[in-house]
Amino acid sequence: MDFKLTEEQELIRQNMREFAEKYVDPIASEIDENSRHPVEVFQKLAEGDWMGIPIPAEYGGAGADYLTHALVVEELSRSCSSTGFTLSIHVGIACMLVLMFGDEDQKKKYLVPMATGEKLGAFVLTEPGAGTDVMAATTTAVLDGDEYVINGTKTFTSNGPTGDTYFVFAWTDKEAGRKGMSAFIVPKETPGMQAGTHFQKMGLRSSQTSEMLFKDCRVPKENLLGQEGRGLVMAMTGFDHGRIGISAQSVGIIQAALDESIKWSKERVQFGKPISRQQAIAWMIADMATDLDAARFLTYRAAWLKDQGVNFSKEAAMAKLFAAEAAMKHTIKAVQIHGGYGYVKGAKVERLMRDAKITEIYEGTSEAQRMVISGTVLR
Amino acid sequence: MPNIVVCFKWVIDEAYIRRGSSGELDFSSVSYKISDYDRNAIEEAVRLRNESGGRVAAVTVGSPEATKGLKDALSRGPDQAYFINDASFENIEPSQTSAILADVIGSKIEYDLIICGEGSSDLYTQQVGPRLAERLGIPCISFVLKLTIDGNHIIAERKVEDGVEVTAAPMPVLVTVLPDINTPRIPGVKDTLMASKKEVVNIAKDDLAQTYEPTLQTTAMTAASMERRCVKFGAEPGDIAGFVEALEKEGVLR
Amino acid sequence: MAGAWIIADNREQTLELLTIGRELATTMGTKLTALLWQDQELADDYISHGADEILLLPPLPEDQPPGAYIPVIADEAQKKDPDIILMASTVRGKEMAARIATRLNTGLCSNCIALNLGEDGKTVEMERLVFGGTAVQKVTCTVRPAMATIPLKTFEPAVKQEGRQGDIRELPAPAPSPVKILERKPRETEAKDISESRIVVCVGRGIEKEEDLALARKLAHALGGEIGCTRPISEENHWLPEELCIGISGISVKPDLYIGLGISGQVQHVTGIRDAKVICAVNTDENAPIFAAADYGIVGNLYDVVPKLIEAFKT
Ligand SMILES: Cc1cc2nc3c(=O)[nH]c(=O)nc-3n(C[C@H](O)[C@H](O)[C@H](O)COP(=O)(O)OP(=O)(O)OC[C@H]3O[C@@H](n4cnc5c(N)ncnc54)[C@H](O)[C@@H]3O)c2cc1C
Ligand SMILES: Cc1cc2nc3c(=O)[nH]c(=O)nc-3n(C[C@H](O)[C@H](O)[C@H](O)COP(=O)(O)OP(=O)(O)OC[C@H]3O[C@@H](n4cnc5c(N)ncnc54)[C@H](O)[C@@H]3O)c2cc1C
Repeated sequence: MDFKLTEEQELIRQNMREFAEKYVDPIASEIDENSRHPVEVFQKLAEGDWMGIPIPAEYGGAGADYLTHALVVEELSRSCSSTGFTLSIHVGIACMLVLMFGDEDQKKKYLVPMATGEKLGAFVLTEPGAGTDVMAATTTAVLDGDEYVINGTKTFTSNGPTGDTYFVFAWTDKEAGRKGMSAFIVPKETPGMQAGTHFQKMGLRSSQTSEMLFKDCRVPKENLLGQEGRGLVMAMTGFDHGRIGISAQSVGIIQAALDESIKWSKERVQFGKPISRQQAIAWMIADMATDLDAARFLTYRAAWLKDQGVNFSKEAAMAKLFAAEAAMKHTIKAVQIHGGYGYVKGAKVERLMRDAKITEIYEGTSEAQRMVISGTVLR
Repeated sequence: MPNIVVCFKWVIDEAYIRRGSSGELDFSSVSYKISDYDRNAIEEAVRLRNESGGRVAAVTVGSPEATKGLKDALSRGPDQAYFINDASFENIEPSQTSAILADVIGSKIEYDLIICGEGSSDLYTQQVGPRLAERLGIPCISFVLKLTIDGNHIIAERKVEDGVEVTAAPMPVLVTVLPDINTPRIPGVKDTLMASKKEVVNIAKDDLAQTYEPTLQTTAMTAASMERRCVKFGAEPGDIAGFVEALEKEGVLR
Repeated sequence: MAGAWIIADNREQTLELLTIGRELATTMGTKLTALLWQDQELADDYISHGADEILLLPPLPEDQPPGAYIPVIADEAQKKDPDIILMASTVRGKEMAARIATRLNTGLCSNCIALNLGEDGKTVEMERLVFGGTAVQKVTCTVRPAMATIPLKTFEPAVKQEGRQGDIRELPAPAPSPVKILERKPRETEAKDISESRIVVCVGRGIEKEEDLALARKLAHALGGEIGCTRPISEENHWLPEELCIGISGISVKPDLYIGLGISGQVQHVTGIRDAKVICAVNTDENAPIFAAADYGIVGNLYDVVPKLIEAFKT
């Protein structure tokens, strides 16, 4: 067993750390406050080939492994988890969907500009009436000549207002049940597709989340991803990959919570000594450090399995479940360690705590992860 | 098309050195880095190559541990690296470093221009560049903030106490660069992956023409101490008043 | 043969080196030699300030750097075999020292901040800062001569003594250096020397715009002090001249009161304020390392705090 990262992975991680300290730390609090998508950061990410790490070079990516992508999401999230997530969903779901299911033309036309970071991807599955219950979706796509016509309302689309390339899931044959959903690539500015309500959120505020409205939205037949009826499988495969990113995001959050808690507890003096010397505080930090490692190893294992080319659905679900819950638990503790100073605006732990919550919800709630895991282990 | 050699050092990141309870240096949690200003040196070498063509070879002397710095250096753009390593090179002093560099560069590498950082962030002796030039018998321009290649000459702007000197020297020549000469890149992912494919020439102690004895001996190394009161105030009016009062009590206001 | 040599770019530095040179020469019972290539008239002046001998280097053509003297100086040193050579730690001095040391195959203690004779009365123990100022390294040279470069203001200037006698010798003219000076651009603004100022207000990257330096200047004015800066301010932003950069690669200050505004407190900077009597800092980041190096800190935005301080100090 070897827990050591390769030299390249170490270097890339370090470089992302430097990148995040230079370009992200200084604006993290501002983009949270203003719910602003940091275009300038994504331009820089594109320049450094950070936006398509696991995508082969022939399709515009860096051609590294998935673990490297996870490390980068982790380091970026340590500075700003909204930014880390935007990168994660772009690569882990949008890019991976075309890479895995797209034909050569689609890869050239859509994957290349996404993997180089010129365009940003979005994953459009959830509907007002269909969250965890994906099958309850109502959006349809009907073939009319050489075009599919999409109608329906989607919600909670990350990068909704800011994306370029949308992956939209709709029924082509509702009757066929699990085999009746299909996925479509819809470029920005396709008539009939429009971002609806732009949500103001508790956390993850610089990531843009909106409704996506489809009204007689016509896309050419060639924009069908893979075959008709394979949509659900694709969505689930997309989640498997995306969840590794969310786990990495959560690990980044816990790392930041730990960094902040260590610094603060060593400095804050009450009762004549730093609070870190109170066992109550020291143990919180011990638990935080332990869960951080556990979350990290689960995440790296899932990514490693992915890189070995074996099934990793259960492991990705486990990693996401554990890391997300640990992130929530320990950001609450981190605020506790900071006392009142952690509750006021501007404290990093306050943002971390608000940001942590979403990791237990999107790309499958913790309950949904437990369904995936139990479904496998009880099989 | 000049052959450019750039020297770099793999050093302890000083930010992680702790002061032990009895004033000793605690290196237990240190990490390593390419010395800060050597990043500027590499960046400048790569910039000039991209402009004028030619090749860049990055050279380092260190213990075998320093192998970790090679990919880092190569990911910043050089075409090739020379790694002169031996366990005994861990704590060598500048006269030795420069002699070893001169030995290898002089006998194994073609060069028109050698670029070094102004000084390393660990020992900061600012000697290796000038000493190396002297050993090789080539002109040296130190503390350069702007560098251009003009035919077989270089033009270098050098920062001195009373201003800037614009100087010229024929190649081969050595320059040491200041941090304001450029902003070192953060290597992209592809740069890092590509680094593994570049050639690294390993050079052992036995490959050198001779051994180089130290001329400077370290007799002690202790943590610099700085005990302060460390009283913190907020920014409320009461705090400001408290702060001013404290300074008055110290008797440092006139 | 023996002796102590000092080499500096100008009179001010030479006088400082004469102080330590004289002390060493006297204790070692040897002769103090000063090299001189600037104003030849200074020979007698240096003698009256403690030199026993002056080595005069002939003037150089306009386009020649002092580095041209290196072979001449090294040859003379080889002949005369001094015990120690001290040079000013200036840009030119540091380069020349390293190259002379190489020719003499000896060790050089760069940026030496303290210098003592060992118990044997011969070995020179020298101190310098390493790791950005985190540590003090003590070194000795194992080969003759011992060499060191010494930063400005490390020693007091020598005082004039009437009636001192000394020899003046001329060294041969050097061969031209391949390095030619095409142009000298003098410094645009003549900067203040703040190394002896009683109160220093220092600015760091927490200052957002060049215009905002006015705020720091006002505070300095209210306190009757001067302003200084961190390296990024002088080196990257070029908002203030080099001479005002405090730290290991800049100057050291020893004021009664130092107030740092928007400075993180990296060791390379803090090293330059070690000898301040009282250190204060204003920083928004409660965890900035500067607070660990400060006597009194204000956690707050300098744009909010400094006007309040100016107000408070006025009354
Ligand atoms: C900020 C943000 C960004 C998002 N980004 C995207 C995106 O880019 N693309 C996209 O398609 N979607 C996105 N989503 C949607 C997200 O994936 C869903 O919110 C999530 O799947 C849960 O669905 P829901 O909100 O409808 O909750 P519901 O499904 O209504 O769940 C409510 C609660 O009931 C529980 N629950 C539901 N069913 C069961 C069950 N069978 N057993 C046990 N418990 C159950 C859930 O776990 C949860 O606790 C985003 C959401 C948010 C908030
Ligand atoms: C070999 C070497 C030699 C060096 N020599 C020197 C040297 O001689 N001198 C030197 O100074 N540096 C030197 N450095 C650089 C040094 O390491 C630091 O990078 C530098 O001192 C940092 O400067 P700073 O504190 O101004 O900037 P930063 O480190 O960027 O700190 C800015 C600080 O301002 C605070 N801030 C921001 N906005 C506000 C606001 N509105 N109000 C209050 N606070 C605010 C921030 O919280 C932060 O702490 C050297 C480095 C090396 C490698």
